[in-house]
Amino acid sequence: MNFKKAAAVVSIMLLIAVAAGCARNAGSNAAKETVLKIAGSTSVFPLVTEIAEEFMKENAGYKVEVQAGGSNVGIESVKNGIVDIGMSSRDLTREELDSGLKPIVIAYDCIAVVVNPSNPVENLTLEQLRDIFAGKIKNWKEVGGLDKEIIVVNRDEASGTREAFHKLVMGDVDFRNDAIIQPGTGQVKSFVASTPEAISYITLGVVDSSVKAIKIDGVEPSLETVKDASYKIQRKLYLVTKGEPKGLAATFIDYCLSDKIQEGIVKKHYIPVKYVEK
Amino acid sequence: MYRWRKFINNFFIGLTWIASLVVAAVLTYIILYIAAKGVSYVNWGFITGWPKGFEARGGIFPIIVTTFYLTIFSALLVTPVAVGGAVYLTEYSHPASRFSRIIRFAADTLSTVPSIVYGIFGFAFFVVYLGFGWSMLSGSLTLALMILPLVLRSTEEAILDVPRGYREASYALGATKWQTVSRVVLKAAAPRIVTGIILGMGRAFGETAAVMLTAGMAINLPVSVFDGGRNMSSHLYLLATEGISLEAAFGTAFLLLMIILIFNLSAKRIAKRM
Amino acid sequence: MLKSKEQAFHEAIRHKEALIQGFFVLMASFTILGLLLLFVYITREGTVLFKQVSPLEFLFGKDWKPTSGNFGTLPLIVGSVVVTAGAVLISAPLSLLVAIFLAEIAPKKAAAYIKTAIELLAGIPSVVYGFMGIIVLVPIIRSFFGGSGFGIVSGWIVLAIMIMPTITSLSEGALAAVPDRYRYGALALGATKWEMIYKVVLPAAKRGIVSAIILGVGRAIGETMAVLMVLGNVPRLPESINQPIATMTSIIALDIAYASGMHKYALFSLGFVLLLISMAFIAIVRIVYKGSYGKN
Repeated sequence: MNFKKAAAVVSIMLLIAVAAGCARNAGSNAAKETVLKIAGSTSVFPLVTEIAEEFMKENAGYKVEVQAGGSNVGIESVKNGIVDIGMSSRDLTREELDSGLKPIVIAYDCIAVVVNPSNPVENLTLEQLRDIFAGKIKNWKEVGGLDKEIIVVNRDEASGTREAFHKLVMGDVDFRNDAIIQPGTGQVKSFVASTPEAISYITLGVVDSSVKAIKIDGVEPSLETVKDASYKIQRKLYLVTKGEPKGLAATFIDYCLSDKIQEGIVKKHYIPVKYVEK
Repeated sequence: MYRWRKFINNFFIGLTWIASLVVAAVLTYIILYIAAKGVSYVNWGFITGWPKGFEARGGIFPIIVTTFYLTIFSALLVTPVAVGGAVYLTEYSHPASRFSRIIRFAADTLSTVPSIVYGIFGFAFFVVYLGFGWSMLSGSLTLALMILPLVLRSTEEAILDVPRGYREASYALGATKWQTVSRVVLKAAAPRIVTGIILGMGRAFGETAAVMLTAGMAINLPVSVFDGGRNMSSHLYLLATEGISLEAAFGTAFLLLMIILIFNLSAKRIAKRM
Repeated sequence: MLKSKEQAFHEAIRHKEALIQGFFVLMASFTILGLLLLFVYITREGTVLFKQVSPLEFLFGKDWKPTSGNFGTLPLIVGSVVVTAGAVLISAPLSLLVAIFLAEIAPKKAAAYIKTAIELLAGIPSVVYGFMGIIVLVPIIRSFFGGSGFGIVSGWIVLAIMIMPTITSLSEGALAAVPDRYRYGALALGATKWEMIYKVVLPAAKRGIVSAIILGVGRAIGETMAVLMVLGNVPRLPESINQPIATMTSIIALDIAYASGMHKYALFSLGFVLLLISMAFIAIVRIVYKGSYGKN
């Protein structure tokens, strides 16, 4: 291949590189006004998806794209500018706050500890729970159940629920390192629903008859026990933006905090903000 | 002595029969199982309806559209490059030249790269660096790169199979190189080139990892190339691992399987016309 | 000097032809551009980690706890190797038997059916295999072996089925390429059909079959979705075969969307390793196939 051909090819490639750069800017601005991209926590996902459906019904012409992936996905993506709002089921770290991310509470949430409906165990103390997840207690009979090995299911590391559970239940103790990992709220639920010896933790918002939520220290997870803080494993659910929310993102967040929506989330076992922060 | 040899002979030949029957059985089982569980869920409402709620019961219309959007867009992107590259390699270049050996090496290497590596590349480059975000554009560009080796190779083989006599006759009649290539060679190779493209599209249609990382996972009806969306394979993955709406999962799996089988069978049909 | 009309005409055609050729050169260059971009990017992101963590520690460390700063990928590499090895050991003999059936034994009609079956199996997306794995295979493994059913054994079976079309079709091609006179020669000497296959045809097709198996291995190592769905994804060195395990590919898929900082670079380093492995496979196949280049 002679010099002329090489020069031609290289110059065309440079042209394409420049075009790509322009497209990059175009892409950032295109459709920003009417499309809202949200990603993040699999615990917040069920809530926000339904809110988004309502939002789109009432505001024709706007599109809200919601996807899960885990709290860390939401935070990382909103930091990188890939999405407008990140969903998080854990508190932001100092570094995340310092990098300009702003969290807004849209609901409170119980982390329910769930077992298979066939499991006779109804209650665990916080210490027992910790020991089970740390691997110190390995058999159900040690906590009043059947003589079966406990199958511990943990969330993946993208999970804000895992972070929150770690903070609230485990403290400084590590999770046992041979627990099965499931990458999402739904996956955990279906695993526990189909495995008699399983135990795990999911947001109360998705608990249904396929799994059984057990009491912790005699306290059942519910709206009331969150309000009076007797159910210890509770946390805030956030929508996170980079900097102060603007434009469509701000509109949507306000919508989430509106009375109509906040009253509606009770039906889904999520706890409205005002209920707790009276 | 002969009887022992005969026994060995029949034994191993019998084994090959069994092996092949096992293979046929596995395929049949997979297709029938999914068909049985999925066909009842797939009706017009499923295909044209929208998923409801976060558990995605209901239809999968936006997901079907996303899948076709990505597949067709990536085919459009890959065809000029793959066909053009193949034409260059077969018609215009000296087979032993440095340049064509580099191209072949590039194509061969690209063909063994795992799809997840395409995914992280697409994510880092198209989604984040170029700022396209989770979009049809990022997804199709990544898919195009992924199926490029496949289409390139099959186009190359199609062109090489065109008998030399065709070209010689064309030149003898005074045609220029371009006239020969476009009106004689490509015309003759066309059915098999199209087959290659269809097979590539079939591959793109069923891709999961690379698409989830570049087109995102939001359920959406994509209009602009900057819109994100979820394709059928990703939907199946998410439904399967969540285990909530298994009926929708089977319905999606059934549709996915059927469409890909149609892709493959029509590719074969077209190739036969060669 | 004025050009005659004829000269001008020929010049114009030459220009046009040169432009067209340039267009094709450009298209071909895109292939190189694609690989270059991929390679450069993965390498760039993949080697950042090695400023802080030594490659030896990365490849041989036993602890994969990226959020606490441990980037030992040995469990993942071992995971990939174990799952791939088992799948190939199961699949290769089976695939070879089918290939022999197609090339030597099957009556025309049966061969056509089986060939179609293989092609269709090749076209089934990996998610569907993973899906069948979860729905059908995992419960079976659970009832036979106990535990959760997710783990190495499920991975072996699913992966073996997935790479079978690759090995079978390539081996069948290699067998079909053996000249008939080899076969007739053996039969004329009084060999049974199987003896002819085993002692003459197979050795003659050795190179092609070995390449087929190597490509099957390459496919298995690179598989992501199906293994992600049935392996259980626990990044730990396995102690028994009825245990969940993770592979390089499945960890990348699980972590990439949310990883940040060194964790993200570690995943790219894993991707970099996978890329190097892929390139190594191509090189190996080429060496094995030294005689017949372009035969693939």
